[in-house]
Formats: sequence, structure tokens, C-alpha cells
Amino acid sequence: MLTHVLERILQALAVMLVMSALVFIGVYAIGNPIDVLIGPDVSQDIRLETIARYGLDKPLWEQYFTFLGRVLHGDFGRSFVFGMPVLELILSRLPATLELTIAAVVGAALIGVPAGIYAGYRPDSALAKTIMAISILGFSVPTFWIGLVLIMTFAVELQILPAGGRGDTAALLGVEWSFLTANGLSHMLLPAANLAFFKLALMTRLARAGTREVMLSDTVKFARAAGLSEWTVLRRHVLRLISIPLVTVFGLEFASTLAFAVVTETIFSWPGIGKLIIDSIQSLDRPVMVAYLMLVAFVFIMINFLVDLAYFALDPRLRKGRG
Amino acid sequence: MTDAALLEVTDLSTHFFTRAGVVKAVDGVSFSLRRGEVMGLVGESGSGKSVTGFSIIGLIDPPGRVAGGSVKLEGRELTGLLQDELRALRGKTVSMVFQDPLMTLNPVLTIGEQIRLALEAHRKITATEARRRAIEGLAQVRIPDPEATVDFYPHQLSGGMRQRVAIAIALLHGPKLIICDEPTTALDVSIQAEILAEMKELVAELGTALIWISHDLATVASIAQHVAVMRLGKIVEEGPMLDVLTRPQHPYTRALLDALPSRTEPGTYLLRGEVPDAAPPPRLTAAKAEPAGDEAAPYFVLDDVSKRFETRTGSLRALAEKLGLAKPAVSVLAVDSVSLTVPRGEALGLVGESGSGKSTLGRMAAGIYAPSAGTVRLSGQPVMSTGETPRKLTTRVQTIFQDPFASLDPRMRIGDSISEGPRAHGLVDRAQTDAYVRDWLGAVGLDPAVAGRYPHQFSGGQRQRVAIARALAMQPDLVICDEPVASLDVSIQAQILNLLMRLRSELGLTLIFISHDLSVVRHLCERVAVMYRGRIVEEGPAAEVYDRPRHDYTKRLLAAVPVLPAAAS
Repeated sequence: MLTHVLERILQALAVMLVMSALVFIGVYAIGNPIDVLIGPDVSQDIRLETIARYGLDKPLWEQYFTFLGRVLHGDFGRSFVFGMPVLELILSRLPATLELTIAAVVGAALIGVPAGIYAGYRPDSALAKTIMAISILGFSVPTFWIGLVLIMTFAVELQILPAGGRGDTAALLGVEWSFLTANGLSHMLLPAANLAFFKLALMTRLARAGTREVMLSDTVKFARAAGLSEWTVLRRHVLRLISIPLVTVFGLEFASTLAFAVVTETIFSWPGIGKLIIDSIQSLDRPVMVAYLMLVAFVFIMINFLVDLAYFALDPRLRKGRG
Repeated sequence: MTDAALLEVTDLSTHFFTRAGVVKAVDGVSFSLRRGEVMGLVGESGSGKSVTGFSIIGLIDPPGRVAGGSVKLEGRELTGLLQDELRALRGKTVSMVFQDPLMTLNPVLTIGEQIRLALEAHRKITATEARRRAIEGLAQVRIPDPEATVDFYPHQLSGGMRQRVAIAIALLHGPKLIICDEPTTALDVSIQAEILAEMKELVAELGTALIWISHDLATVASIAQHVAVMRLGKIVEEGPMLDVLTRPQHPYTRALLDALPSRTEPGTYLLRGEVPDAAPPPRLTAAKAEPAGDEAAPYFVLDDVSKRFETRTGSLRALAEKLGLAKPAVSVLAVDSVSLTVPRGEALGLVGESGSGKSTLGRMAAGIYAPSAGTVRLSGQPVMSTGETPRKLTTRVQTIFQDPFASLDPRMRIGDSISEGPRAHGLVDRAQTDAYVRDWLGAVGLDPAVAGRYPHQFSGGQRQRVAIARALAMQPDLVICDEPVASLDVSIQAQILNLLMRLRSELGLTLIFISHDLSVVRHLCERVAVMYRGRIVEEGPAAEVYDRPRHDYTKRLLAAVPVLPAAAS
């Protein structure tokens, strides 16, 4: 177990190193940030001076190693556009995306898993068929369209929910959160629902497929023959047996939503990192792009690692050493 | 009806309403059972014996349902009860034990948790009380060290221990009736003998009645006082065990008994009166001839072969091991320095229990696994090359596996499966292929017209015939059969054994026949090797090994085999 964890940490470091090189070279290949930094009418002297100040006249490898050295000290550079340290900038936007992602993914799991288990338990019932029909919509209708429909319906026509922004926030642990105020929550509801829709469909279908399979197994037959109630069979046996694929998808969806909530954040003007990255790509804000992509890689590695640990907790057959 | 009757089943019918029509899985079954009585319910797959068992406690999944008849338990009618009323009976008054405890126990819950769930199903119980009852229950079924076992997960127990846990769960509430559905089928003979003996004792001690559902007449004979034989949803014969098994009245019962290799002279055809199959096609030689080999050398030799399986480890782990920081990974010595010689034309039986290494040895003989040490030679020529990635060098050795459903490609027509190898090795060309495949299908007793079908369109016995045709179409001299009849019903098993015996004599094949079933090996093989923990503990002519076993393990193995009462002449 310990060697496994150590091995994973070494692997993660290697992946991060490769990722940093790829990202740095990739971003370097796009456009010239100098044109963004200074006006077209400044003199050649100032232009050269600016290039030298940002180290852009050095060879690529030297720039990379300078960058790497600074990263190791926790310094991702300063944003060209905002003029503030990149890490500070990203961290100021991260809570907004984080609370939206948690609301969407946890909400999707809390609704999708029971709905899927029910649909798998009573596959021929009308409710199960309705659930499955909705889940097909969740897969096939594009997110941006659902977002627009949600705004049209609840914000424009019914006027019961706000169309965008974070609303009021309250501080917890020195960070501003929307979910702590009623107004913030009402602002969160639409974008979270929008983000959750696809995940909801995915969780439902996975839970249904797993349940249908497990319901036919001898484990369930034996449990029933021992007189266990259907509720106990579902809660104690089925849920545990279908949890591994669900946890896998939960982790992957959590990571990808955290990293790529761009569309929804744009539609609902949610000031999260998705919106930040779109803005920084448009303005060729290199340090922000690099730091963001590094962060994404880090988030994926961390979540995969946590999912692996969850496997060990959920399936005793994966644990070694005993038996 | 006597007043002592515990269970009274009258004209029970369970039908499955499928799109293709109504399947009458149980079609008018009647029997009764007294308190403390053990009844054997015997039949082949599809006879409806398991469905009968499930019907009694109302556990039939849609599209099936009990369509008619009555089930009375202590005078109370069970058909038509609400699910909740039935649930209150399940596990408390009537409980069940299933075939494979690895499938029935939940792999992610500890034994203790599973016992607690079964206890909570019928009464409120505190965690400490549940644990105490669980330990008691495990001790009752003779599980050593129940205090530790209660915290184990199913995969940490052996097959026999797992089945004991399932029996402990079935006994928790002191049921009046236990329905056992093939409870020892997945177990080794020695474990089966233990479980049978323990079940008999428990039943006698607790006065529980038992319905013992099995395909195996011999295990039923060793536990039941009363036997019912089922076929196509009906009971064809019923009576006291000795009467039914020694003086069978119904032709089907007689055929079942005649199909057993243990009741027939070794080497003779089972179930006489079958239509003979077409003769196999003439021998062909491959376009690229293999080296002829040394005729003077012993025919087939396993020379001091061993096989060690290592668990794969990561690079860091390997480094830690080198530095002495971690314990070396577990490796299993599956086969330990085995030497065997098989003369041309002989059938050698390889018997042993699961984990004895017999399949691993078979796979090394067949050129599927490369030995970790030692060599395998046919006519003096190695079967596998040596080096980094060993390769099989000959087509003269072929294998027939246990499960033809797993060994045939489900997306390939069986004709293509059969011709794939011969085509690749130049035994036949494109023009000859169809005729060649048809000849082989005829030779294994299948209609040559089925060449275009897929494996799922065949029954288990037919699939095994296809697998035999595929192996033999490669024109082997030596065939390794790895449990080829283990998953088949006795009547189908008899047909396949007949087929193997006939093809062997017609083609002059040499056989290595791997089986856990001692009676099948006795029937088919002249010589027997007994494997135990990766070694051959005894080897010799079959008659001698069976009648005068020398090694203790062989003696124990033979003693564990349940024996049918001798037929009355």
C-alpha cells in the first residue's frame, strides 16, 4: 500500500514535469504577447526593453528553465493583463468554479444514482421508462442550448431566478462563497442545473446498467432467500456492488467540470476560472494559460489518485496482504 | 396426507411467459416431505429442478410465475401469499443454499456484516449481539477460528469455507426446511465429502428437512432418504432412494444411471444404441512439413518441468525488494519438477483437485505455457522454442478446453473457427475448405449444414463437439483434453466420452485427459497420474491405482468419491 502510494506520487511528478514542458512549448507557439502588452505606436526602444524585461529574447529552453525554477518556488509569474501574480488570480476565481462544480456533480449523483437504481430495479415501469427517456435528452442536447433555455424560461419568462452573476457572497475561511447566502444560492441554481444535466444522464444510465446486472446475480437471490427486504437488498448489496464504476465516473466528471466549465460559466457570466481562461486566451495572457493548464493536470492527477484510494476502500479484493 | 407432512407440493406449475412463447419449466409437480426428511431432487439442466426449489419460496423472477398448483408448508398455503408474507418466511422457516458461494456471498461485505443483515431481516438485534450470534453460527458449521473469520471477506476463504458460511446463514433462524441447490457442485470431492457429512449431522441434530437439488446421482444417494427424478418439468420417478437407484422403473432414470461411467466397464461405449457418427476425413499432411522427429525417442516426454507464476510488480517495488526494504513478491510454484512419459497411442489420465497444478501441467504439455524449467518433447522434438518469447513449434499437439463457450470466438461462424487453423498451416486450400469442415462436423456427430452458425446457436454438448472438431481438424497426434466434460450433463457427457473414445481409436490419437472426475478418467484412460500440490504423487495403470492406491492422498481422494448403491441385477 505504502509503496503503491509512493509510486503514484513519483508518477504524478513525472506527469507534471512532462505537462509543464508541453504546455510551455504549446503556448509559446501561439501568437506574440508583446503586441498585447504594448501599444502599436510605442517606440522601438521601449518595445525591445519590454521584450527583455519579460525575458522573451532568450532562447526557448532558457525561458523554460527560468519558468520551471520559479514554479518550484511557487511563482507562476504575473498576468500580463491584470498585472497581479497568476496564482493569486487563479485562486481568487477558483472558489466560484469549485462551488458550482460540487453543486453540479454531487447533485447529479444524489439524483442520478437513485433514479438509475430504480430504473434498473423496475425496468418495465412507466417511471423507469420516463427516467431513461430524459437521460437520453441529457446526452444528446448540447449544454449551451439547455443553458439558454433555462435562462429563457426561469429568468426571462417566469422571472423567478437571476440570469447571471454570482449574487451575494459571504466569507468562509477567508474566501467568498455564493452558497452561503440565499441570493447567491438562487444565482447558483441555474448554472449548476445546466452543468449537472449531462452528468445526471450519465450517472442514471450507469447505475441502471449496474443494477440490472446485479439484480440477476446469485448474491441478490441469496440475500432474498435469507429474507432480506428489497430495500435492504438495494441499499446494502446493490449500491455497494455498483459503486466502483460510479466512483470512477464521479471523479472524472468532477475533474473535467472543474477544468472545463467554460461554456456554462460564459452563458451565465459566472466569474470562475473557465471564464478567466477564455479571456486570457483571447488576450494572449501567457502566464495565466500556462498556470491554468498546469493546474488542470494537477487536478486530474489528484482526483484519479483519490478515485484509486476509493477503490481500495470499496473493494476489499483489491487490498493485498491479508488472506 | 399424513399429519407429519411438513411440505406438501401438489400439481405445482411454474411457467415463463417469454416473447417466444410459454416455457413450462415446472409442469405439474407433486411431492411431500416429512419433518427432518432429506429428499433428493435429481435431473439434468433444464429439467426444472432449481425452478421447483425457487417456486416453493416464491422467488421466481419475471417473466416467470407460479401458474398453478399448491405449496403447503405446515398446512399453510404459500402460493398467492404477498411478497412481504413470503419474505417473513424466507430465511426463517425456509432457507436456501446455492451452488457457488463465491457468487452468492457479497464480495465487498465481511462475513459478519452479511450474517448481521440476515439476522436483522427477521428481528431487531444489536451489533454486539449480532456478532456473538455470527460467531456461534460459524462455529456450528465447524469453521475453525470463527472469531477471526467473522471479519473476513469472502475472497479470503476457501471454497469449502465459503459454502460453510452460506450454510451458517441458512441455519441462523433454525429453519424447518433448507433447499440446497447444487450445494457441492462447485467444490472438490474431498471438500464435498466433508460438507455432505456435516450436512447429514446437522440435519439429524436439528431435525431440519432438506431438499437436495443436484444433477449428481451419487451425492444424492449419499444424503437423501427419498429421491425424485425430474425431466422436462415433470417428476418421472419418485420413491425411497435405494429403490429408485437400484431398481429404476422409468426408462429415463435407467438411462441416467447407464450414462454414468462408474457403472460401466472401462473403455466400453456408454448408453449403447446410439447412432454411429460418420468417419473422420483421411489424414492430411501440412504443406510445410515439420521435422519428422526421432522415432526411437520416447513418444511424448515431460522432462522435469516446473512452472512458477510471479505476481507483477512495479519498478519501485522491485527496487525496494533489491534494497531489502520490501518483502519479495509472492510467487506460486504451480507445477514442481514433474516428469512424465506417454507412449504413442496411450490415454493418460491426470487427476487432482483444484489448485493441484493439473491444468498448468496440461498447458505446458500443449505448448500454451512455457515451462519455467524443464522441457516438453514430442518424438524427441521440443514442443516450444526457448528464449525471451517462447513459441509453440508444432501443430501435432492440440487442446480441447472445458468451456467451449469461452474457447470459441462468439463472433465467428463455427465453420470458420474449424478451418482457421488448417488454412493457416496449409493443411487445406480454399477450394477444399468447405468439404473439409463438413467432413469434420459429420465426424463429431453434427449436421454438416450447421457450419454457418455461431457458437451461441448450439447447446453445451454441441459446442463441445465443435471444439473437438476444431482441435482434430489440425490433424494432431496428441490431444490434451482439459476437463472436456466437466460442465456437461451426464447423458451429454456420455455422448462426448463415446465420441472421444471412438475418434481416438480411429485416428490413433494419444490422449492426456485432465479431470477432477475420477470415474471419467477410470473409464477413458489406461494409465493415471495423481497430482497434488504441483507434484505427481502416484502414477500407474488405472486399475492398479484405483484398486490398490499406495499414496495417502490417492487413498483419501478415492474415499471421498460418493458411491452409488450397486444396481440390483
